[in-house]
Amino acid sequence: MADFELRRPTSVAEAVEHLAEGGLPYCGGTELIPVMQLGLMAPDILVDLKRIEPLGGIREDAAEIVLGARVTHDETAASPLVRRHARVLAEATSRLGNARVRATGTLAGNICFAEPRSDVLTALLALEARVDLRSATDSRTVDVADFVEGPFATVRQEEELLEAIRIPVRASRSSYIRFQPGEYPTVTVAAVQGDGGCRVVVGAVGEIPGVFTFPSAEDVDAAEIAAQVDVTEDLGGREDYKRHVTEVFVRRAMAQLAEGSAA
Amino acid sequence: MSETLVRTTVNGRPVEARIPNRMLLVEFLRDRLGLTGTKVSCGMQVCGACTVFVDERPVSSCGVLACDIDGADVVTVEGLATDDGLTPVQQAFVDCSALQCGFCTPGFVMMCTALLRKTPNPTEEQVAHHLEGNLCRCTGYEPIVEAVMHAAESMSSAESGTRHD
Amino acid sequence: MTERRIVGRSVPRTDAVAKVTGAAVYAVDVVMPDMLHAKVVRSDRAHARIRGVAKDAALAVPGVLAVVTGGDLTGLFPRFGHIVADHAILAIDKVRYYGEPVALVIATDPLIARDAVPLVEVDYEELPAVMDVSAALAADAPVLHEDDYSDVPDADTPPGGNMSRTPVKVTSSHPNVAHESQKGWGDVDVAFTDAHRIVETTVHHPMLYAYAMEPYNAVARFVEGTLEVVSTAQHPFMVASDLARVFSLPLSHVRVSVPYVGGGYGSKSYTKVEPLTAVGSWAVGGRPVKLVLDVEEAIYTTRADSADIVVRSAFAADGSILARDFEITLDTGAYADNSPLVLDKAVNRCFGPYRIPNLRVRGKAVYTSTSPASSYRGFGAFQGNLAGETNIDQAAEQLGIDPAEIRRRNLVHRGERLIPGNRAMDADLVDDLDLLVAELDAGSSGEGRLRGTGFGCAATDAGAVPSSTALVKLLSDGSVLVLTGSSELGQGSRTVLAQIAAEELGVGMERVRVLQSDTATTVFERTTGASRTTTLSGLAVQRACRDVIERVCLAARDVWTDAAGPIEVRDGTVHGPGGRSMSLAEAVQGWFGPGGGEILGQGVVRRTGELAELPPFWEIGMVGVSLEIDPDTGVIEVDQLVTVADVGCAINPTLVEGQDLGAATQGLGGTITEHLVYDGIQIANANMVEYRVPRITDRPRRFRSLIVERADGPGPYGAKGVGEGARNPVPGAVAAAVARAVGVWPDTLPLNPERVWRLIQRAKSTGTASPGSHGSDSGPQ
Ligand SMILES: Cc1cc2nc3c(=O)[nH]c(=O)nc-3n(C[C@H](O)[C@H](O)[C@H](O)COP(=O)(O)OP(=O)(O)OC[C@H]3O[C@@H](n4cnc5c(N)ncnc54)[C@H](O)[C@@H]3O)c2cc1C
Repeated sequence: MADFELRRPTSVAEAVEHLAEGGLPYCGGTELIPVMQLGLMAPDILVDLKRIEPLGGIREDAAEIVLGARVTHDETAASPLVRRHARVLAEATSRLGNARVRATGTLAGNICFAEPRSDVLTALLALEARVDLRSATDSRTVDVADFVEGPFATVRQEEELLEAIRIPVRASRSSYIRFQPGEYPTVTVAAVQGDGGCRVVVGAVGEIPGVFTFPSAEDVDAAEIAAQVDVTEDLGGREDYKRHVTEVFVRRAMAQLAEGSAA
Repeated sequence: MSETLVRTTVNGRPVEARIPNRMLLVEFLRDRLGLTGTKVSCGMQVCGACTVFVDERPVSSCGVLACDIDGADVVTVEGLATDDGLTPVQQAFVDCSALQCGFCTPGFVMMCTALLRKTPNPTEEQVAHHLEGNLCRCTGYEPIVEAVMHAAESMSSAESGTRHD
Repeated sequence: MTERRIVGRSVPRTDAVAKVTGAAVYAVDVVMPDMLHAKVVRSDRAHARIRGVAKDAALAVPGVLAVVTGGDLTGLFPRFGHIVADHAILAIDKVRYYGEPVALVIATDPLIARDAVPLVEVDYEELPAVMDVSAALAADAPVLHEDDYSDVPDADTPPGGNMSRTPVKVTSSHPNVAHESQKGWGDVDVAFTDAHRIVETTVHHPMLYAYAMEPYNAVARFVEGTLEVVSTAQHPFMVASDLARVFSLPLSHVRVSVPYVGGGYGSKSYTKVEPLTAVGSWAVGGRPVKLVLDVEEAIYTTRADSADIVVRSAFAADGSILARDFEITLDTGAYADNSPLVLDKAVNRCFGPYRIPNLRVRGKAVYTSTSPASSYRGFGAFQGNLAGETNIDQAAEQLGIDPAEIRRRNLVHRGERLIPGNRAMDADLVDDLDLLVAELDAGSSGEGRLRGTGFGCAATDAGAVPSSTALVKLLSDGSVLVLTGSSELGQGSRTVLAQIAAEELGVGMERVRVLQSDTATTVFERTTGASRTTTLSGLAVQRACRDVIERVCLAARDVWTDAAGPIEVRDGTVHGPGGRSMSLAEAVQGWFGPGGGEILGQGVVRRTGELAELPPFWEIGMVGVSLEIDPDTGVIEVDQLVTVADVGCAINPTLVEGQDLGAATQGLGGTITEHLVYDGIQIANANMVEYRVPRITDRPRRFRSLIVERADGPGPYGAKGVGEGARNPVPGAVAAAVARAVGVWPDTLPLNPERVWRLIQRAKSTGTASPGSHGSDSGPQ
């Protein structure tokens, strides 16, 4: 790992100043440190977000659940608010990675890294979440659907901090399942049935999750989704196999949604 | 090399050190403090051999900067047993022969300790879910599951014992 | 026979407390004063000539003391290899695989050494590579080794290996063939013409990585003309002889010691990184140099041989085997390491423990431009067993005979010779099989699940060549030190050898300490492998204890100047005529006088007498599985795993079960999820994220190890080895279970979800209701 300068701000204002200077933010470091170990990234300045109190916590704010950038997978999975209003996210964060990753990794870090096999991204897309971005000079809120552009690519400017993730609270039924014979999932499926229709998100199988909307859960066509998703071939399988398991897991997610309780 | 002054406690002992920013926690523990009970194996946070607690949270010390422990309370496998002897988890690993080469054992002992703090009476399924990120190449895992169930039992009977006293 | 106090009981492991508290020391934990750290510059070419190495930029980094290359090793014998000395410590002239060590950077700090590695510039002239066996065997294939490596300087030093060091390529058919091996008897071709049925099977076994969790590492220094190395080696005595040759040192001046080993499974057999650290120390004037590899480097250091095997068997109508004909091709990678022996074992082990009137096995191990292959738990056996046992199962199906019955008809009986000239069968295989089959149950199928059971048999020539020694010291206070050259790899040797000594001498476990694996201060042991320790090292310890007792009796006779009549040691006490007695401590003190002394007992095991015939024992493997498959995904869940541990005497039953479950679990990994995949010149999954070993969630729902004790082994109390046996039949057993579940025979491992799903698709498209069709698939990688 190359040498770097370490900044440890205690306020958001301070943090975005460091970012303006070219600093790279990190929180759990579960993605960043390995990447730096491999020499794939060599930032000059690292900005530790862990000491910024206001970035912690999960709260309800005007029909939205707001998760601060410091919030970990474990905190999310255990949150009664999340369990009540965003069950797909509780499911995703309680199962992804391993217990240490869940204890230290953050949702913000997960989507900023934009690993194509992210569980978090699948869940957040299904929930139509938004993210608050803030720089020293500006702030904006972006739909997660627009935030992640592709594998390891987001619209976040280098000087922008992801401050919080916002999830609208809506009455809905949902399900979340994943097929994971390896370390990362082969396919993740989140399905949310609300007043406005049924939203099915298929992640991990391709470079970017596919989002599909239907008037209702009964209209969901698993075969059609499987035919349309973007597929990356790797050691987890070739294209036909991945399309097939996509169809299987969409069907299973829909069956679960039909059985499941409202969330 | 840039360094940061770090004040922390490791296994209850205050430690103050200038640590190179790029040093990993496991390097600091093993190479600087001589706490070699914490092991490095996969180097990618999937095997669990390097597990330590930072403020009670289990972390992969091969994937954490040493500077991040500034102000925190760190516990390694060496910090578990007391003068009174082994912890219930350690004792259960001994009693159930839940180890062979022992290289993964410190990590398993740490993770199981973390589990039983949060979930004192886990089901076998919860045990397996919690330990999915710990690899053991020798035992086939069965004795480890047994050890965790044993430890949970002995802890809860000790607990109810003290309550009734 | 007196009642045994300690042998036969599952006493707690003597290393357990140290291991749960983090106090146990492994080689990777060892620090020497003034120690330097090395990192390896590795080839990024698969086959290339080295034109030059530019070191200056690396040497300019503050803290870097030296950059060592193959060309710098003047005056040394620059290669190692216990069978063929083909392995350059640091590449000389050529590199032969991606990942090969080209230079060693030595610095004051490991981070500095790592920083400097990319600054070493190697100028290569690219040569064509051969990435697989068929490329390597092409008529116009580039030749990987032009040398026959016959220039070994030390004809007198006993070969460390299991074979002579004569160059092996002389008889070979192609310059890229590292070794050829044959076995056979009878007239196979005639037998085939008389057959009722001929069954042909082809299998491919992938490259595997043993993943011992402690990576390869060592630290070396020179002290007063002596090379001292601390390493994570299984066989320190063999490493010492490789190092003695490198530096032209007498064996007395090479000391290799091994603390606790963080997993071996055969992958730490033989010399690995020790020569790198030793030449590193040599280059910096003898200061200690430590080298620790990471997992990726470990994978590029040693893997298990992949194998392509074709077997044809001829059967009579009743299922009797008339003849078997095997052709085995191993991909041994860029250097021979132990692969010639892996091949010999595959040739010996592929046909199974069956009565075979006519046999022909032909094998070759082929050099390719890939990571060198070597030993891994049961080497040769699991690759060969997959072919042999799948073939038997297919025959059973085609002949309409129950798979247990066809085996019963062909298994050799006790006293029959499986291989002419080898030890006669020393186990009751049919009884073992009956136990296995009775325990294995198909369970009930979950809804929409496919179910299958499978099982297999193996008997492997275990134990290697018997040459073991032990020294037992009875100290002045009656406590006991056992000195052995056998390494504690996790198998529990420290505990079992202590149990044997405590039993023999009649003392408590807490009075016995076992010191292991230091070529200077403990005593010779050929290897820690081949499931030999309890049997052969254990026998040496038992003999050493009996030697101690004899000497104690002589001492007592000296002390009791007037003792006419028998003197014996019983329950840790010396009993003499007239009811007199004294403790062991009193015997030592009485004999030496004030100040005390030690009574030394020596135990030697050689290839003589009962152990003249090889193998010292047959290691039995009997494993059954029942499994469930999700037809929609191809995911296999192992419901039940049963093993038979035919161990003669279980000195510590819990440790026996541990060996069986551990070995079988590695087998399940190697069958269901594990394989190293070459993508071009590099391995695509050289890390533990993508190379998937079994997780806790993959463990079988039910496990049972049936321990069989017939006191029929050559070891102490009739013990024989355990450790590899339950590894070997797993691939064949799982393959059969999958075939019975899905209706198509797999021919390639691993049986990962995609591959199993493709088998299911093939079964659907061919309309096979039961197995019968053969699933050759070009499917997943
Ligand atoms: C072994 C392993 C298994 C895993 N398995 C899964 C899995 O199954 N499913 C899954 O979804 N994920 C998985 N992950 C990924 C895991 O969820 C992420 O590593 C984690 O959530 C990232 O959070 P972090 O705080 O550690 O990020 P960091 O490593 O600290 O940061 C990651 C990236 O995000 C940037 N960043 C972080 N926070 C901010 C912010 N607030 N504003 C702007 N940029 C920021 C950093 O600059 C960096 O580039 C796995 C990871 C590991 C190591």
